[in-house]
Amino acid sequence: MTIARELRRLGVLGINRRNADYTLRWNERRLYKNVDDKLITKRLCEEAGIPTPRLIAVARHHFELRSLGVEMARRSTFVLKPAGGAMGNGIVVVIGRDGDRFLRPDGRFVTQAGLEHHASSTVSGLYSLGGQTDSAMVEERLIVHPEMAEIASEGVPDIRVVIYRGVPVMAMTRLPTHRSGGRANLHQGAVGAGIDLVSGRIVAAMIDDRGVRRHPDTGKLLIGRTVSDIETIVRIAVAATDCTGLGYVGADVVVDAERGPMLLELNARPGLAVQMANRAGLQPRLDAVDRRLGTDRPLVERVELGRSIATETAATTTRWA
Amino acid sequence: MFARAPTIVGTIFFTAGILVFLWKAVVLGLPVMPTETEGPWRVELDVTVRGSTRGSVRTALPTTGPGQVIFDETNSSDRLDFNIRTEDDRRLGVWSGRFRGTHRLTYAFRVELAEDLPPQLPASPVAKPPAKLVAEYTRDTPSIPVSAPEARELIAAMNLPPDAPDRTRLIFSFMADEVAESPHGSEDALLTLSAREGRPEGRVRLLVTLLRAAGIPARPVAGLRLASEAPPQRVVWCEAWLADGWVPLALDTDAPGQDPFQTVLLRRDGIALVEGTGVEAVNHRWRALREHLRPSELAAMMVPTNPLLARLSLYRLPVGTQSSLRALLLLPLGALVVSLFRNVIGVPTFGTFMPVLIALALRSTSLGPGLAMVVSVIAIGIAGRLALERLRLLLVPRLSVLLCLVVMAVLALALIGSGTEIHNFLGGVLLPMVILTMLIERISVTLAEEGTRTALTQAAWSTVVSIAAYPIFISTRAEHLMFGFPELLLVVMGLLICIGGYTGYRAMDLFRFRELARDDL
Repeated sequence: MTIARELRRLGVLGINRRNADYTLRWNERRLYKNVDDKLITKRLCEEAGIPTPRLIAVARHHFELRSLGVEMARRSTFVLKPAGGAMGNGIVVVIGRDGDRFLRPDGRFVTQAGLEHHASSTVSGLYSLGGQTDSAMVEERLIVHPEMAEIASEGVPDIRVVIYRGVPVMAMTRLPTHRSGGRANLHQGAVGAGIDLVSGRIVAAMIDDRGVRRHPDTGKLLIGRTVSDIETIVRIAVAATDCTGLGYVGADVVVDAERGPMLLELNARPGLAVQMANRAGLQPRLDAVDRRLGTDRPLVERVELGRSIATETAATTTRWA
Repeated sequence: MFARAPTIVGTIFFTAGILVFLWKAVVLGLPVMPTETEGPWRVELDVTVRGSTRGSVRTALPTTGPGQVIFDETNSSDRLDFNIRTEDDRRLGVWSGRFRGTHRLTYAFRVELAEDLPPQLPASPVAKPPAKLVAEYTRDTPSIPVSAPEARELIAAMNLPPDAPDRTRLIFSFMADEVAESPHGSEDALLTLSAREGRPEGRVRLLVTLLRAAGIPARPVAGLRLASEAPPQRVVWCEAWLADGWVPLALDTDAPGQDPFQTVLLRRDGIALVEGTGVEAVNHRWRALREHLRPSELAAMMVPTNPLLARLSLYRLPVGTQSSLRALLLLPLGALVVSLFRNVIGVPTFGTFMPVLIALALRSTSLGPGLAMVVSVIAIGIAGRLALERLRLLLVPRLSVLLCLVVMAVLALALIGSGTEIHNFLGGVLLPMVILTMLIERISVTLAEEGTRTALTQAAWSTVVSIAAYPIFISTRAEHLMFGFPELLLVVMGLLICIGGYTGYRAMDLFRFRELARDDL
């Protein structure tokens, strides 16, 4: 009970409250498709001029799988993923090939037939949220920005920005580890490192809900490093969220070595681990947004509001690192 | 902690349910608790009969007598006439009229069976029975061939003592030791005697024949043996007049004089229970259900003084519907357990209601063996799923193949464990068979995608939820409360609505963020 009182004082948001007061209240059911279907998200972003990874091929039905396979056979690096997947499930990354065999980041090989079977399961809905039929998509694989590559051992790190009513409230970078199989999924043992919205500085980090200071594979100190151009990253996240009409979103941004920050995907039920990664509760920031956000504020002002709220609340709640 | 609107609505539901419940329990005095000892049985006969001319269907009806009290008889006659003919202590229900196609007839009654033992064989010599009774129950009939030479010779050869109880005992031992029961045997007394084996009917007829030939008044009787988990079974036995009363002699018990427990006597002058004349086909089925109320309480439940409640009483429904509804009404309680586990404790499980459906299926077995069976079916399924992986099948056919595997696994278990509890389990498990298949797929995908640790955690929590919900499903109290007081559904709904508005921390949140709290302590 003391834990509960202390967490309440820190403003840590629990799952029930997130569902009742934020996702159920601010995310209209009919708009979910804008984030649950990555093809729709991509289209909305393209219309708004927001950069996203280039789409190579899509299979919406089983008869389109053949052409998808042809596209994959032509390349040696790409990402095959379900348009309606969740939590990074069903994503296959190919980083090279040896004749007919495709190399995955963990060193295992997968055959062309294996990829096609995976795509077929995807279209049948194995990885989609409700099990309904889905689309399989092939995207270009990003080249991890050297700055990020330096701290992450493998896979593609991304930056998760939590956005409430169009205001960025908290951010973290998710760094894949060997244990997470190169995936930026915190449930599987990726590192979550909280980022200050103003400076881009990493303020805290965690694995499996326990605080850490170093990346477990590279041993490099994470705290104090800076993610450059955080302002652009946050703007992309907010702009993409604006396209969807949803009020409580986790936006995932990746930084490509050549093309810079790009929107990867959006999530209408963002997890709460971001609080652990930042060593700060979301509640004070969400309350401050409700108090201080007027109506119809332009994007730049909202980003600015989010940054000042983050600075103020961080000063009062964080005492770690 | 609790959102306001859901709390208000939830409280309204809760209060409404509680008020109706209290009114029924306190003002009307309806029994809230089931009786400790089990109450009367409700027995139901369904007859399906087809015909196109005038005809009749007859069924033996039970009478109140030593060992049994019959009450609350009802029947439906589906375009025919129903009459009860009573002669001496025999009652016969007769549906008659012109048959047009198929008719569905029902007859139902409640019976309270005495717990004390029926009259026993007296040890000492007994008084002579009345002459009229002797004449009636020692005579020769086509099915009881008393004057047949075989019977007479056998009795002469047995060298019986003069005393009636001793004679009875000797004849009973002869039947028990020398004439075996065989499903391929005859139903005829003399054929059973010559083959030294027969069906229960043949053996009982032979016993009656021999007793009569030895001068002891005897008659074949028939009834139903009632059991909680199996349909009623028709049984036949013999009654002999000794010591001023009829003493039951059941050949499937060890000694004469014992009545098989939980048996209701239906017919005293023969063996057939349902017969038709002038009909093309007649088919019948008995069903029985054990009540957990005393007869007086049952009467109050069935016909409460309030006419509206009397109409709404679930106790008036047919037996089959009642048993399904009893299980159905427990499901919301299971859902309540799930909601507590998911939203207040916050544990991950495979599928939302999956663990509860498993617990419901385990109702007809005991927990341990039942869970072991579910686990083995799932293990077989996962092994099959891994083997199927190589064939690269499309999703829906793959799931269907998996369903076939699950069915096969259940069949295999049924064959291995025939005669054990698994038999009971099968009826219950049919319900979640498809869910089991989906579960196997979910576990397999979780294993592949999120690793063994996550899968095992979820499996462990699912088991915990199943075990937590299980006591509800086997509780006769919960069953009686929900069935007798369905307004408690409102109470459950009220609680669920309140839980739905709970925005406080889940236990898992506290566990997860415990380090944050420690920072500041």
